[in-house]
Amino acid sequence: MTQYIQKAKFEKTELDGEWIILNTEDFTVTKLNEVGGLCWALLNEIQTVETLTQSLLEKFSSQNNMEQVKRDIEEFLSQLVHCGLIQHVD
Amino acid sequence: MKGIKTKIGDQFIQIIYEPTVLFNSFLRNFQPNVGSENDQADLIIKIKEGYGVPFVDYKVDIIEDHNQILYRRADYLIEVNSTFKYATISVHDELALKHAMMNLYSSFIVHHNWGLLIHSSCVIEKGKVHIFAGQSGAGKSTAAKLSYPRTLLSDEATLVKITQNQITVFNSPFRSEIETDDFKGSLDAASVQILYQALQNNRVKLTRSDALLQLMDKVFFWPRSPEEIKTIMRLLTMLVKNVPVFELYFQKNNTFWELIS
Repeated sequence: MTQYIQKAKFEKTELDGEWIILNTEDFTVTKLNEVGGLCWALLNEIQTVETLTQSLLEKFSSQNNMEQVKRDIEEFLSQLVHCGLIQHVD
Repeated sequence: MKGIKTKIGDQFIQIIYEPTVLFNSFLRNFQPNVGSENDQADLIIKIKEGYGVPFVDYKVDIIEDHNQILYRRADYLIEVNSTFKYATISVHDELALKHAMMNLYSSFIVHHNWGLLIHSSCVIEKGKVHIFAGQSGAGKSTAAKLSYPRTLLSDEATLVKITQNQITVFNSPFRSEIETDDFKGSLDAASVQILYQALQNNRVKLTRSDALLQLMDKVFFWPRSPEEIKTIMRLLTMLVKNVPVFELYFQKNNTFWELIS
């Protein structure tokens, strides 16, 4: 099961429920919505698609659409990897 | 050698120079002999001619050791001590001097967490200021000219002082085409516009996060450390929390002011 965690060296700012993540190494910025920001905060510690899905379902008190949430998380994580915000944990 | 004591923003700056044609021409936008004998200079700058070659590109090498920082471009060299109190600028020509002064001043105000130099023009309207930001060619000086007879505080680089609860703008000596008038002091910022030339006027308010993203590449700065970039981000965050930011699509005439005031 693939594990993910934040890369180091970030500055984050919350503005009206949205998050701006600044990579201070290569000076790129990424904007996340509220749910993205929540996932990002959880990625402070090691996470998998399953643990993040579980956290979101608990947070929003829902057990519906579990498969859809999982697919969204997978896509979101691959975008974060692409943006250089998170990395795989070996 | 000759010296003037001037004020940029609310800091006293002493400039020491040989009174050559180049330096006399450049310093016309700086108010001379400001303040009293007792006002200590916050920054002392010695400027010299005879360095390097004419403008090649915007690439600045930054070299830092324990008590000195060097900013080096083909046409200028800035040597500043690590507390940003004493600096020497060596230049090839007037363009190099202008860019070197902006490089030094921008780094100086970020070092002191005072504020930012923003790529924009700035116009006074009813006792408050409106900032028009954009990259080269977006229409900063066009918007400034079309705002006549309102007073301008900048036509290219706006001096913005940023605190937790207040954003104020000072007269900028860093000019592109329109020379400074003698406005002294500062005024509160009422709005920031990101400029786009268009066939129809329209003004759209940005969310704060989009405003922050839009403004990040409108700041003049030469980052030398992640810490400095964090400071800039914190200052921009305070700016967008205090002042509304809009996209302004404007026709090349003065009717866009109907959307602002």
